[in-house]
Amino acid sequence: MFRETAIKEIEAIREQYPTARAALLPAIYVAQREFGWLSPEAYESVSSVLGVPRATVRGVATFYAMYKHRPMGRHLVQLCTNVSCMILGAEKLVDFLKNRYGLEAGGMSSDGRFSLVIMECIGACGTAPAMLVNNDFYENLTEKYIEEILEKYR
Amino acid sequence: MITVTINGKEIKLEKAVTVLEAARSAGIKIPTLCWHEQLEKYGGCRLCLVEVEKMPRLQTACTLMVADGMIIRTETDTIAEVRRGVLEFLLINHPLDCPYCDKAGECELQDLVEKYGLTKGRFREQKRKVPEALEDPVLVRNMERCIVCTRCVRMCEGVQGASAISVINRGGHSHIEPFSGGRFDCEYCGNCVSVCPVGAIMSRLHRHSYRPWQLGSETKTVCPYCGVGCTVVVQVRDDIIKRVVPKLGTVVNNGLLCSRGRFGYEFVGNKERLTTPLIRKNGLLEPSTWEEAIRLIASRLSEIKDKHGSNAIAGIASPRCTNEDNYVFQKFMRVAVGTNNIDSTARTGFAGAQGFIENIFGQGATGNIISGLANSDAVFVIGGDPTTINPILGLQIRACSRRGGNILTVGHMKGLRYYTPLELRPSVNTEIALLEGIVSALMKKKGPPGSHPVLEARLKDLNAQEADLPRICGIQGKDFSRFIDTLAEAATPSFVIGKDMIQSKGGSYGLFLVSAINYIVNGRIYLLSERANEQGLLDMGCAPDLFPGYRPITYPEFRKRYENAWKTGLPDKPGLTIFEMMEAAKAGALKCIYVMGENPVFNLPHTKDVEAGLKNLSFLVVQDIFLTETAKMADVVLPALSWAEKDGTFTNMERRIQLVKKAVHREGMEDWKILSEISSNMGVRMNYSDAEEIFGEICRVSPLHRDLNYEEIEKGDAIYPYKGEPLRGSTDEIHIEKSAGREERGKLYLRVERPLFHSGTLSRKAPALVNICPEAVARISPATAAALSLKDGDIVRASSKTGALELPVAVDEAIDDSAVMLSNNFQGKGAFSLMEYEIDPVTKAPCLDSNQIILEKVNR
Ligand code: SF4
Ligand code: SF4
Ligand code: SF4
Ligand code: FES
Repeated sequence: MFRETAIKEIEAIREQYPTARAALLPAIYVAQREFGWLSPEAYESVSSVLGVPRATVRGVATFYAMYKHRPMGRHLVQLCTNVSCMILGAEKLVDFLKNRYGLEAGGMSSDGRFSLVIMECIGACGTAPAMLVNNDFYENLTEKYIEEILEKYR
Repeated sequence: MITVTINGKEIKLEKAVTVLEAARSAGIKIPTLCWHEQLEKYGGCRLCLVEVEKMPRLQTACTLMVADGMIIRTETDTIAEVRRGVLEFLLINHPLDCPYCDKAGECELQDLVEKYGLTKGRFREQKRKVPEALEDPVLVRNMERCIVCTRCVRMCEGVQGASAISVINRGGHSHIEPFSGGRFDCEYCGNCVSVCPVGAIMSRLHRHSYRPWQLGSETKTVCPYCGVGCTVVVQVRDDIIKRVVPKLGTVVNNGLLCSRGRFGYEFVGNKERLTTPLIRKNGLLEPSTWEEAIRLIASRLSEIKDKHGSNAIAGIASPRCTNEDNYVFQKFMRVAVGTNNIDSTARTGFAGAQGFIENIFGQGATGNIISGLANSDAVFVIGGDPTTINPILGLQIRACSRRGGNILTVGHMKGLRYYTPLELRPSVNTEIALLEGIVSALMKKKGPPGSHPVLEARLKDLNAQEADLPRICGIQGKDFSRFIDTLAEAATPSFVIGKDMIQSKGGSYGLFLVSAINYIVNGRIYLLSERANEQGLLDMGCAPDLFPGYRPITYPEFRKRYENAWKTGLPDKPGLTIFEMMEAAKAGALKCIYVMGENPVFNLPHTKDVEAGLKNLSFLVVQDIFLTETAKMADVVLPALSWAEKDGTFTNMERRIQLVKKAVHREGMEDWKILSEISSNMGVRMNYSDAEEIFGEICRVSPLHRDLNYEEIEKGDAIYPYKGEPLRGSTDEIHIEKSAGREERGKLYLRVERPLFHSGTLSRKAPALVNICPEAVARISPATAAALSLKDGDIVRASSKTGALELPVAVDEAIDDSAVMLSNNFQGKGAFSLMEYEIDPVTKAPCLDSNQIILEKVNR
């Protein structure tokens, strides 16, 4: 079950919507943040705070690809391999992440620190290759630069 | 008046309906897949597309409302082309495994493809693969076959109200899953199975052993389990029940069933059924012939009667047997044996409560139409969760909420939790104070209605007032006021009363208070009933103080009537109640008990006492379909026919009489037949040729059932008060005995759980129900679990003054902190074995709420 603060947060979200069902998407985000991914417990917690049946919560969440439906690392690395990034060596960076951190596309590092998702264009063709770590944006990537960046995310 | 033209035919309509409904009313068929008459409109499958003049595109007939002057065509070349296209899309992923799909033959997709479909699809891609889900005990999910019409989801959410399944994922990957992805862990009503148009959700019980075209016979009858009395259709192949399904359009349950009704039929064919009479010889029950057994019973009964008098014999009737069985039973006891010592387990609550309420409001006060609940604007629930005790009635309460009615509960009702109940949860054993508070608050708000002076006179001296409630019951003033306001404003309130209320200390006073609330707000009362013919058994006179027709035996004119009808003198003093029988047996005053279709050792509280009483008898006869705990103690055991093997009638809790019909054949005798054989052997001839003849006699002698017959029952006209005379007029005296349980905070009290998946000891013999719910568990609240360092699945020793059991615990948020819930269904693990009782002086029901219980963890 949620911590008290998360319950308060969801209750506040609920206030902004006409029905409990309408508040599901943001509430599921809170659950995802609290539990790291959308585990059965995460769904049940949303269900009990909003009073929406748990199967319904799960049904709604699984419609959306951008929720974390599997256990995910603490930090999400989203690397672009679209045309510009590819030409400027993004695929080598994919190999680098694999060799250096054990990170495979769609997978998680064994220490649970990172997950990697391969993206289609994050609008940084002029400064490719580029990636997002959580909500932070990085460009002109090299292997060394990636190492430096990821140091900041423990 | 709206006029539309469909396929050139002019149709006049009173009110706006959908094009589909308009077409159907004129006998024009439009194909559909996602539409279903029980469900909310969806408009998802696009199969019902029709052409409407002046509208640009094809329209879905199931959602489009008619407008005056519309000209509609339902079968044109364009439409056929489009429907073919829709079906082609549906078949992209459909496996077309009809040869081994159980649905084939009654599959809507198969029929439509046969009518409109192409013989060849153009899609060359691989079909999606989803393995068949076999994790569940009773339901099979084959999601390759699912066409995502969402009928099952709309059923589960919008009608059943369980919301256990939903569409998951999206696009071509979407399909239906329960929350766990595997087991359904739901209410197992199977109503999703009924509405699935294809073979995507199916019952496991007849998997690969029954096709619709192999149907041998089909019998419309009544569910054997609870007092709702749902219509079921029993489908038989080779004299084995293969499937039980509901029927659309029937009055009580209109196409719906609960888990027991749908999946609980397998007891009929259970190998453990009794096959021959058994007689105790040298301490052991040995097979015997019918002649020997019947002669023995007749001679032993006559002997005891001669030696100790008729009142040394008593009979226990059965709320699972038909009216005809029960009528013959009481006649046998009164005429052949000569005693009024006749009672049943209805005495554990229903009988006394009904008598009490009828004494206040007149006979028939509790016989209200179940579907009426959905039209109430408020439903007040007390004494048990109707969604598990009488599930189909529970659905009507959910429907009431969906239509905007308010649900008011005293105590927590898990099955109503998604229906925004206004819930008052008084602390342990303080319900009476709360009810007093409600009565006085309502009296202040609405004033006395003035039509029932006797009742009003009793309202003068209430102990608890509104202001005391926070202190006594721990109820907040704000919640209480909302509750009172809602109740006071209701125009058509209903009251649903469960056994927990009746079986608590001060239960009759509590009933009085609920009756008073009902009176002040002018509502109607529903009394939950756990057995299929609990009402009928009382109407048939299987009570120590009632003759058939619900007539008190103490009125000389009624006695005269029955003496004339049966051509014999009749005892004029009320006999023993079932609890008094057990006392008398223990004391040695009672020598013999004849039990028909009941298991008192298990179904009465304080098992040890009951056993001691029965052991003390010199002769115990048990007539049943299984060797129950009680039968094992008997001197003679007689095998009876079950509900599916005989004809007769049941009377449900609305007091509707319905026909029970023979669906399968079995060697043996009906209960009434066995009794009449014994009676004839005792010199009182009874030679009925069939159940209908018995019903004919009932209608001749019972003033309530006058002029009824099977034909009229079949037509559905047998609704209370039939054409007979109920005893009208209410009382000039209401007997109340104020008392209430004492509260000891911090102690745990044992409460009887009334589970959705079981019913008495009969459901134990139905493997599907046992698979859904296999064992007894002690349910405790998270706080209790924490206090005792227990977690789900831990084994505890639960002990009370009368005994101890070892069983696993389950932590359940719905349970009160003061309660341990345990069912009374599983062999050797019944709550009643741990319970003592006191008898309520007014309703004669046992008060069970003072049983303290101690849980200790067992380390294994
Ligand atoms: S069996 Fe009943 S409760 Fe279970 S999923 Fe189907 S409709 Fe819902
Ligand atoms: S399981 Fe059946 S009812 Fe449910 S969506 Fe699929 S095809 Fe429709
Ligand atoms: S509600 Fe009662 S009568 Fe109806 S199916 Fe269920 S057990 Fe049978
Ligand atoms: S039946 Fe009309 S859209 Fe499915």
